[in-house]
Amino acid sequence: MDAAATSSNLPAAPRQRTTDLPDIAEPASHSAKVQITEDTDLASLTPAQLYDLNQSAINDLTASDRPLIAPVAPLDVLRAEYERGSQSFVQQIDFLQRQGYQGIRRTRGDGDCFYRSLAFAYIERILASPDRSFAVVQAISTLEAALPMLDAAGYQKMVYEDFYQVLLSLIRRIDEPDMHGQRLTPEVLLEAFQDAEVSNYIVVFLRLLTSAQIRADPDSYAPFLFHPEIGEQMTVHDFCVMFVEAIGKEADHVQVTSLSRALKINVSVAYLDGRSSDGRVDFVQFHNSLNEDEEALALLYRPGHYDLLDKGSIEALSL
Amino acid sequence: MAAVYMRRLGKELREIETEAPPAGLRLLKADDFDTWIFQIEVLGDSLYRGERFALKFRFDNTYPFSAPAVQFVVDSQMRAPVHPHVYTNGHICASILGEDWSPTLSVISVCITIQSMLASCKKKELPEGNDTYVRTAPDNPKKTHFVYDDDTV
Repeated sequence: MDAAATSSNLPAAPRQRTTDLPDIAEPASHSAKVQITEDTDLASLTPAQLYDLNQSAINDLTASDRPLIAPVAPLDVLRAEYERGSQSFVQQIDFLQRQGYQGIRRTRGDGDCFYRSLAFAYIERILASPDRSFAVVQAISTLEAALPMLDAAGYQKMVYEDFYQVLLSLIRRIDEPDMHGQRLTPEVLLEAFQDAEVSNYIVVFLRLLTSAQIRADPDSYAPFLFHPEIGEQMTVHDFCVMFVEAIGKEADHVQVTSLSRALKINVSVAYLDGRSSDGRVDFVQFHNSLNEDEEALALLYRPGHYDLLDKGSIEALSL
Repeated sequence: MAAVYMRRLGKELREIETEAPPAGLRLLKADDFDTWIFQIEVLGDSLYRGERFALKFRFDNTYPFSAPAVQFVVDSQMRAPVHPHVYTNGHICASILGEDWSPTLSVISVCITIQSMLASCKKKELPEGNDTYVRTAPDNPKKTHFVYDDDTV
């Protein structure tokens, strides 16, 4: 992907998942049989074996005992996980640190990680805003203005308003105490997102918003709607039903583009794939904020999974 | 935030009670948020002209993230329709009640789908393997893993 690509252009065609695989130098059956232990010299492994090792580390993320979203951890923790593995990942993590990213906020790898991460970062941004009242009003007015798009997409108000209310009430609590006199704090926000009910309601709302945005502008998206596994072109309706509205279905370029348009935000996605020759990380930019200078919400993408990148100072992290 | 699903069901219920449900549907029982029963008939020209069935919904706190458990009532008074996707114990093989469920669907939209499934039926016959299925089926149809191999009937 082109690091300079912005969504003011048309969204890039989604890549088939297999293009994320390193080139396999030897038959896969051969690489699968090697037993990898703690003593294995990683330099002796083929790219395919390294890839498998990385995937199994990522698969750990899908375990259901992981929190839906975790407190920020120093990026050094992620670096340490790759130190014994691929040096190209380590170099890329060093690059991220030089760019000022100090922390990673991990999400459970349940297929909803993009929506959950983005929702969290979206609310956290309002909470950290120097003029919170204004940020709250602005967010709510953007969301309210998007609701007719949900109607136009054919969702019943009765069906979407519960999902919306959960998100709305969290945002409102930034500025107005709830019935227990409690305002939203970073701790309460994290707690809310770790509660499956609250968290999943918000995920569904963002999925509906993403889907409605695609349905509202079919001409822009139709050429880019491909089945993520078989690569066949799909209709707007089928793509939205199967790969946007359905819970647990991962987001790709099209979904990131449409959600950032619907929320009018800037998003940047750092591709950590261990495949960069110079150790740099490509950031794919989705610029849809009315305020061009607004700092993008930063996501860290490893093939198949999104986490959040954090620029907070290391001292602020609760270690 | 407990029991958000009840809030959603409460709204669905109010809408059913205040606006008449679609033709051919009548709410028979909704005393709680566990079990609702509808009377369902297919209006117009169909193989089920004049027949009435009872459709039972069971909910838990995963609604509307996962489908309610839906089946026809089979007891001393009620029978399930004879249909290639409906077992004689009332269980229904319909993809929207399984992998094609979406949180944008509602109780009424499920009823309408079942109505149209009956309305479009060309031949009254039991599903293949009905007897075996009915002998071994779990009480809750959601515990059955149906394979949706035919959407033409």
